Amino acid sequence: MSKVAVFNQCPGSEVRAESPLAHLASIKGGSSLVVTEHAFLGHLILRGQADNESLKAAVQSVIGVELPLQPLTLALNETTGASVQWLSPDEWLLILPAGQEYDVEQNLRQQISGHFSIVNVGGGQTLLRLTGSKVFDLLSKSCVYDVHERNFPVGKGVSTTFAKATAIIRRPNEQEWELVIRRSFSDYCYRWIADAGREFDLTFTV
Amino acid sequence: MSQVNRLGSGGYIDRTQTLTFTFNGNQYTGYKGDTLASALLANGVGIVNRSFKYSRPRGIVAAGAEEPNAIMQLGATEAAQVPNIRATQQALYSGLTARSTNGWPNVENDAMGLIGKLGGPMMGPGFYYKTFMAPASMWMTYEKFIRKAAGLGRSPKEKDPDQYDHYHRHCDVLVIGAGPAGLTAALAAGRSGARVILCDEQEQMGGHLLDTRDQLNGKDASLWVSQVLAELATMPEVLLLPRTTANGLHDHNFATLHERRTEHLADTAPDANQVRSRMHHVRAHQVILASGAHERPLVYANNDVPGNMLCGAVSTYIRRYAVVPGQRLVVTTTNDDGYRAALDWAEAGREVVAIVDARPSPEGDCVKEARKKGIRIITGSAVFEAKGSKRVTGARVSGVDPATFTLTGVKDDLACDTIASSGGFSPVVHLSAHTGTRPIWRDDIIGFVPGKVKGLTSVGAVNGVYALDRILADAAEAGTNAALASGFNVAGVELPSVTKQLESKPIALFQVPHEKPTMRAPKQFVDLQNDVTAAGIELATREGFESIEHVKRYTALGFGTDQGKLGNINGMAIAARLLNQTIPETGTTVFRPNYTGITFGAIAGRHCRDLFDPERYTALHAWHLQRGAKFEDVGQWKRPWYFPVGNETMHDAVQRECRAVREKVGILDASTLGKIDIQGKDAREFIGRVYTNKWAQLGVDKCRYGLMCKDDGMVMDDGVTTCLGDNHFLMTTTTGGAAAILEWLELWHQTEWPELEVYFTSVTDHWATMTLSGPKARDLLSEITDIDLSKDTFKFMECRQGQVAGVPARVYRISFTGELTYEINVQANYAMHVWKALFAHEHKYGLTPYGTETMHVLRAEKGFIIVGQDTDGSVTPEDLGMQWCVGYDKPFSWIGQRALSRPDTRREDRKQLVGLKPVDPKVVLQEGAQIVLDPKQSIPMKMVGHVTSSYFSPTLGHGFALALLMGGSKRMGEKVYMPMADGTVIEAEVVSPIFLDPKGVRQNV
Repeated sequence: MSKVAVFNQCPGSEVRAESPLAHLASIKGGSSLVVTEHAFLGHLILRGQADNESLKAAVQSVIGVELPLQPLTLALNETTGASVQWLSPDEWLLILPAGQEYDVEQNLRQQISGHFSIVNVGGGQTLLRLTGSKVFDLLSKSCVYDVHERNFPVGKGVSTTFAKATAIIRRPNEQEWELVIRRSFSDYCYRWIADAGREFDLTFTV
Repeated sequence: MSQVNRLGSGGYIDRTQTLTFTFNGNQYTGYKGDTLASALLANGVGIVNRSFKYSRPRGIVAAGAEEPNAIMQLGATEAAQVPNIRATQQALYSGLTARSTNGWPNVENDAMGLIGKLGGPMMGPGFYYKTFMAPASMWMTYEKFIRKAAGLGRSPKEKDPDQYDHYHRHCDVLVIGAGPAGLTAALAAGRSGARVILCDEQEQMGGHLLDTRDQLNGKDASLWVSQVLAELATMPEVLLLPRTTANGLHDHNFATLHERRTEHLADTAPDANQVRSRMHHVRAHQVILASGAHERPLVYANNDVPGNMLCGAVSTYIRRYAVVPGQRLVVTTTNDDGYRAALDWAEAGREVVAIVDARPSPEGDCVKEARKKGIRIITGSAVFEAKGSKRVTGARVSGVDPATFTLTGVKDDLACDTIASSGGFSPVVHLSAHTGTRPIWRDDIIGFVPGKVKGLTSVGAVNGVYALDRILADAAEAGTNAALASGFNVAGVELPSVTKQLESKPIALFQVPHEKPTMRAPKQFVDLQNDVTAAGIELATREGFESIEHVKRYTALGFGTDQGKLGNINGMAIAARLLNQTIPETGTTVFRPNYTGITFGAIAGRHCRDLFDPERYTALHAWHLQRGAKFEDVGQWKRPWYFPVGNETMHDAVQRECRAVREKVGILDASTLGKIDIQGKDAREFIGRVYTNKWAQLGVDKCRYGLMCKDDGMVMDDGVTTCLGDNHFLMTTTTGGAAAILEWLELWHQTEWPELEVYFTSVTDHWATMTLSGPKARDLLSEITDIDLSKDTFKFMECRQGQVAGVPARVYRISFTGELTYEINVQANYAMHVWKALFAHEHKYGLTPYGTETMHVLRAEKGFIIVGQDTDGSVTPEDLGMQWCVGYDKPFSWIGQRALSRPDTRREDRKQLVGLKPVDPKVVLQEGAQIVLDPKQSIPMKMVGHVTSSYFSPTLGHGFALALLMGGSKRMGEKVYMPMADGTVIEAEVVSPIFLDPKGVRQNV
């Protein structure tokens, strides 16, 4: 018996999956603020010591990016779309293309030695991509964190409050922002965004 | 009525846009660019309100935030009502409807005025305290009367149609005030590339430069204002916020700015998507306070009669709005600035009767200019009494000696309709004082300036600097330094040339003496809004109030929406003179946020109605809704409470759901339970230290109930933890405790036992949990799973992994109902699929969804506690009779162990968990009911415990309860009593808290 119980939690495609926003309707609007849900991605929480060489090597070889050790940073694999985000000194969020989370976890487990943990959290959160000229305004209305480009350059990611919920805010590239929201708060976040985005002619695709 | 006081030219109004508005039911016209105040003055409306206590007629005194009298109730419709708007700060718009907040039946003829006249002499300070204190029971009646009479405005009775919101902002430099100082500072900082926010409470930025006689670069100062604003507007990192009041300055340079976005356009926002007002939450690296100064009026007899104004306000109305608020002006001043009003008045073509200057021999440039214009100047003198009742008809003038507080020389009566007074300037130090810093008195400027606040620089008039050339130079330096401090290179600003004005020094005069003693003279108002007089302050000091804070509360000086903007310094100066001490010895009262009133909507922002608090939903929420569930709030979660069928009452539904679980099979959405994934080679050791019971021997795929104590030995959480692998556990917590328990684990790990190799990750939202419970649970589940459910293979308190409805799942055989139970856990995205697959067999097995209420009944029948309902932070595991769940001989001291050996936790008469069985089986005890042993004892009775959970059980056929009872474990079989509020007494028998299946046969089938 393995010391840690890991199993593929995804059924075959014949089972209908429901994202946390499944019960909500898309909103048609303009292009100045466009929010799109990217559901069913693989989300893993990796915990371990930053000076564990095997951990760094494993992330490099499995994900193809350097493990971000600088606080509040994000490493992206442009080819695969996978990303690794620093969450705390011993904690990273891995977001992977849909369906890869089990294989990635297995591969990482094989390559990492010493004390670490990997936990699948994909059912508990979803990712929203935000584009358009009014993203700054939407975020400024919603969270206390300074999202000005001088404080929030591309490659940054923070865990902060979003209205009265928690969220991870990330900036993978010049054009896009990402919000990672918790499943149980996603209805609230949707309604908050729909409300705050009304003056910007929000488009919200779920 | 036509605009009798409007000049034919000049001002920043647009004469091509005539606006119609209504004040107290009468229609008037004004122009775009007017404030409500300037439009009223243009129309010759002299009386705008009645005073708070004496109901005396009052007119407009000032032109800005310091206006004490023109307090309006705005709104053409009920829903749009807004109280306490200063007419001086309200832009005019077409259709504006305003009423005076005081005055009944109207401001011209006021019933209260008569009472004020009769009662006035008796209504001294402390009148309300003295008159309405006793009996205390009458206060509510008194208050209604006082409020009606005082009329502080009213809130709308209908729902506000408007939206308000918040906006978080960050900047390097926040500049508060866009007068000469603020504009220059913002320009200096802005040119460096720093992020700058410049806010100003007025409709138009420019402040004093919009009505000054000074020229910049040899031209009208407003031209320079336009140039600077145009340049600032081109800077991408500069944000200009007009109509935005900095209402509060909090610790660490956090400022709250209230921006009025549509208040100048209409009653309610013209476009439904527009936000009416917005609260900017600004975190600034540096703050430059350029809030300017308020002119101080002089305190003389009848100085509240309409027609008494501030000198600066007179100039503002003439130069900015082209409105001359009277025909014949007398100026009474202690400084050169007062002369400007007379010069502006004369240039507007109306008569200046005289300038009365308290200084014996003023020689400034303004004085010379006035002389040259042939204006009569009476030196060494002051107006000591205004004549008239509804409008000034004259000014009584006398020589005055401020040092001895006496009148000297000859007296003269001057006929006039307007008296403008200037007693100098009071820097607007309010914001600097919000952080707790006391303002500092400066004799040379006869005023308080801001004390030192970290990261805040005061420039211009607020810093006691009044000469324009110095203001500009100081502000440029402050803007530059703020940018430097924020890490920016400075670009520099070229300052406009200012024509140097020679000024003679002002003189300190606050209250003008009268020929009669203060107590007998006509009222000399210090605080117009609160009707506080010089005599009132004198009486207060005579009655022994020496601290200015006490004088303030006794007299109401600086109360209300006014917050002492006009009256505070005069009041303090008068108190200081009476107490024979200096002004700094007397000190100031405390200024608190908000600087001016803010509508509640802006404070709430969008955090209202359905966005007030997050509602957390499980993956199955949509199904519950469709099934008609009633919901219960558990923390922020919405959990199904019960699922009524047809017209069922809650009682009926719960009885049906209970029976279904006991007889067939029910299903509960338990996804809200906190779930923490724990990995690491020391996971088992760690769990053993945070739970009271033993974990060393728990095998893989086995589950165990755990009880968690705080270090004080009191139960804080419970739940089942499963060993998934030697280094892998899944802990469940109570729904409400999930986040706190994760933090608790991290706290102990990071601070006490960092050597343990263990990591925690929240998986509450990741796993959806469906609890299938009842004798038919096995049969139903076996229809859709590949897991071997046979009772000897998959035993009670074990876990299996397999497929359920084609979805990979972990199934835990644990039970909170006492029945055969399988908790099915799947990745939440697939929960709905599994749930529906189970319901495909609904009719075959009688599958019944049940909610939290049924869960409560079922668990209580089994004597299972709910932490937070049956415990309250003062209950130990032993109090709960759960010694079986305490590992007394565990090798490592687990959290709470030591506390359980304290004498107090060993007391035998502690409150202990018991069951209560009402003698009358139909009775359901009230939760929270207090327990007594002898119902005949006299009140106050000795209360020995209380009911924590109480339900009617369809299985038992009677009501039953759990209770905490002193020494309860030794009272089995005794009778206890619950006296109710209606006088009845309910009798119950103390029994074991386990009412059903004490041997656990049903869950082990």
